[in-house]
Amino acid sequence: MPHMNRRHLLMLTSAGLATFSMPVLAQSDRLRLAFIPQENPEKLLGDIEAITSWLSEEIGVPVEGFVTIDHAAAVEALRNGDADISFMGALPFVLAEKEIGAVPLLSEVYRDAPSYTGRVFVRRDSGFKTLADLEGRDIAFADPISESGYMYPLAEFERAGVIAGPKDAEDFFGRIFFAGGYQQAMQAMAEGLVDAAGASQYADLLLTPLQQSQVTWIAESEAIPSHVVIARPELDASLRQRFVNAMMKLNMPEHRDKLRYLYGPDGYVATDPSVYDGVRKMAQRYGLL
Amino acid sequence: MELPLIQHILRLILSATIAATAVAGPSLATPAKEAPWLPEAAAYRLTLFLGNLAPVPWDKVEQAWSEPYRGSEFSVGAFDRLDRESFIDVSGVTEAIEKQDRQAVYTAATRLIALRIEEELDAALIAGDPASAQQAMAEAKELYRAFADHIKAADPAAARTLGRAWLELNNAAGSTGVLGAGAKPQDSDAMTAARTVISSYLTQNYLVDNLTPRQTLNAVPETIAKTGRPVDLPATLPPGSDIFDQDPLPRLVLNFEEQGIDETDLPLIAYGDMLFDSAEIFGGPARELGIACSTCHNRSDINQRFFIPGASHQPGAVDVDGAFFNPMFNDRRDDPIDIPSLRGLRFTGPYGRDGRFASLRDFSRNVIVNEFAGDEPSPFMLDALVAYMTEFDFLPNSMLTGDGQLTETAPDAARRGEKIFNRPFAGMGNQSCASCHTPSGNFLDRKSHDIGSVALGYVGSRTGALDTPTLLGTVYTAPYFHDGALPTLASVVDWFDDTKNLGLTEAARSDLTAYLETIGAADEPYESFDAVNTPFRLAFAELTTFASTLDTLLPKRDAEHILVLTDTVAADLAADAGTMANLSARPEVYTLANRLADVGSAVRAEDWEAAEASWSLFKADAAAIQERAF
Repeated sequence: MPHMNRRHLLMLTSAGLATFSMPVLAQSDRLRLAFIPQENPEKLLGDIEAITSWLSEEIGVPVEGFVTIDHAAAVEALRNGDADISFMGALPFVLAEKEIGAVPLLSEVYRDAPSYTGRVFVRRDSGFKTLADLEGRDIAFADPISESGYMYPLAEFERAGVIAGPKDAEDFFGRIFFAGGYQQAMQAMAEGLVDAAGASQYADLLLTPLQQSQVTWIAESEAIPSHVVIARPELDASLRQRFVNAMMKLNMPEHRDKLRYLYGPDGYVATDPSVYDGVRKMAQRYGLL
Repeated sequence: MELPLIQHILRLILSATIAATAVAGPSLATPAKEAPWLPEAAAYRLTLFLGNLAPVPWDKVEQAWSEPYRGSEFSVGAFDRLDRESFIDVSGVTEAIEKQDRQAVYTAATRLIALRIEEELDAALIAGDPASAQQAMAEAKELYRAFADHIKAADPAAARTLGRAWLELNNAAGSTGVLGAGAKPQDSDAMTAARTVISSYLTQNYLVDNLTPRQTLNAVPETIAKTGRPVDLPATLPPGSDIFDQDPLPRLVLNFEEQGIDETDLPLIAYGDMLFDSAEIFGGPARELGIACSTCHNRSDINQRFFIPGASHQPGAVDVDGAFFNPMFNDRRDDPIDIPSLRGLRFTGPYGRDGRFASLRDFSRNVIVNEFAGDEPSPFMLDALVAYMTEFDFLPNSMLTGDGQLTETAPDAARRGEKIFNRPFAGMGNQSCASCHTPSGNFLDRKSHDIGSVALGYVGSRTGALDTPTLLGTVYTAPYFHDGALPTLASVVDWFDDTKNLGLTEAARSDLTAYLETIGAADEPYESFDAVNTPFRLAFAELTTFASTLDTLLPKRDAEHILVLTDTVAADLAADAGTMANLSARPEVYTLANRLADVGSAVRAEDWEAAEASWSLFKADAAAIQERAF
């Protein structure tokens, strides 16, 4: 796991925010993008510079970007007008939507789809074929607020009728571990520390080639909308549209190389609030919304 | 917050270590990528690796701690990071390195890592919030990684107990939730209990004043080491190593293929192709790590990214007679060489940088047995390898005729440069460049010459003579000279101009460079891929072609050579499945790999009927999934 120094992040954040501390609620002559770091913040800063300079040329207004410490800081920046646009997962988006009325603009595309799934993985030699087989067994999930690494895979146990709801999970399994990420959950399963893992459909790619051939999955969730580009509700409609138009250009062959500066999706598609109905229901089921 | 993006997953970098791919079963030629190392954990693993070389390269040990490892995500080395992030005194390590005291370095470095784990665990336990606790625990776990694979090999029960303790620790740390929702409180008692398990083990095994001296430096727990019980440790490469394929992937030009002949109709060549990609023919760490001929000479070209600390002085270079691959063959000279291209191999003998082997067969045997510690290859295997390698052709170049003359498409500057290339120079004994790099003979003369590019090993030695290399395809084989000392063809021209007093003007040097860049060019140097024609599709075609030799070997009941094939191809097919773009077809590829493994198992059991049956199933399955195999 790449190391992320919290102190370092704070420094980056304060440095970044210091430049953009003036209120800009009504401004339509520039655009501010808030990025939430996923890994190396040093790299992110370089990426931001590359993409914002291109967006500035495309949109015709200065585009600035800065790094926030986490989702809360990004949403706060959207709320008070320090940021116009941000990038986040579907769950944080529906929470931000409720909190500040955030608007979804674009959905990331990976492997030809603006969505992905969560799966329940087991070792091939375990003999587990159904979710019911995991009664009394230990399972590792990624994180309690991970869509594909907890909520959606656990919902499959509910759909299979082996638990009545999330609160029954503790009784059904032997132990539930939140391992801290897909990789940790998958490794714990592959190494035999637990019997199953709930993680993204792509999480087995985090294992070694040998381990990949030794694991399989026994349940797959419904589609989860992938990461979303969101805007503050007051953002000028024309500026918002110009931003969307510019971002959609990234799907064109001549601009695809710039996608790597934006968390590296394969492209973007336009999205709307209805896409997230399932996420809202899921968030309600887990008491998050 | 867990990130759902596949890109993030890929960027996390496939986590498991190269070692983990090699622990059990046949070796894999598809290495696993490593997650980035923390600087101090990287320095420790490099210390173990370099400390096991003979002689110990002390300058590199010092660098391992003072500089970021090659490819590190961190801009600082271990000492600088410790200075910034830790209160631990590092003087024990620095003083031991200064004294070049191997055991003292080992003890101090081992204690340092254990103390760092303790330091981060302390931070995790006193952290006031889940995010800070998890940050510190993640750091502690990454430091523990420096010991983990050796604990697993030496003390599997403890490895499991510790693995569960790390899980418990993370689980008990709670979660901050997202945007105020879904927070999970810390369970301090559970955290303390899990931490105690880890710390007790560290105290007993790593925070020891005088670790048992070890012939081979390793992270085997002290309680196991002092019993003297041998531990079968997995071969590993240290942080900074890179044995991945080139990107972009060079185009392979095989003579038979260009003539439209199918490799499956050439079983000897197809078997040689398989051996070229097989780590099974090597021994020692090369075999375990999945290093094959193709690791360095992939697609008959050079692997410019190949790098192993202590064995490579720069990417694309390796010391094949050093301490790592085969201690028996260690010449105790730090003399890595730039990996040569094998294109046009049948025209480029004698072989070896100094032309020490007249025969490609002898050269190949030396690579297998001496350089990479393999068993004596059978005559059939050597025949097959040679048959395959002599199919390597040069890259077609429409600017050059077969006898080395420029065609009409060559630029004017190259034509001017051609004249300089053919002009005798007093500084070169009235010889021209073309005297050795004969245009009509593939730009080489099959002789060795001392041009003054080699630092002599002793006064009066005549060891500076090197085999004249071809100039064909050289645009894609930088850097140049036996040790890769010169980065560009222009710098090669400058070197000759300077050292041989050629007196070339700037324009003349530019023209001569243009000539080299023209004769060294190619029409299509690289493979081109798209959404369906993927690297996996290429690998799938290769691996199924290799397997086709079973049509010849099974009727002959040739168990020895069948098993080399099945062990190689079944493992590689399964490993390569992880690189597929069409992920949904992966289970079918795993099944296919198992079919081939079943052939091997049946042959081992001398059940030829079952072997034939599995082979038939393999062929049917392979044909059925071919369209989806990308």
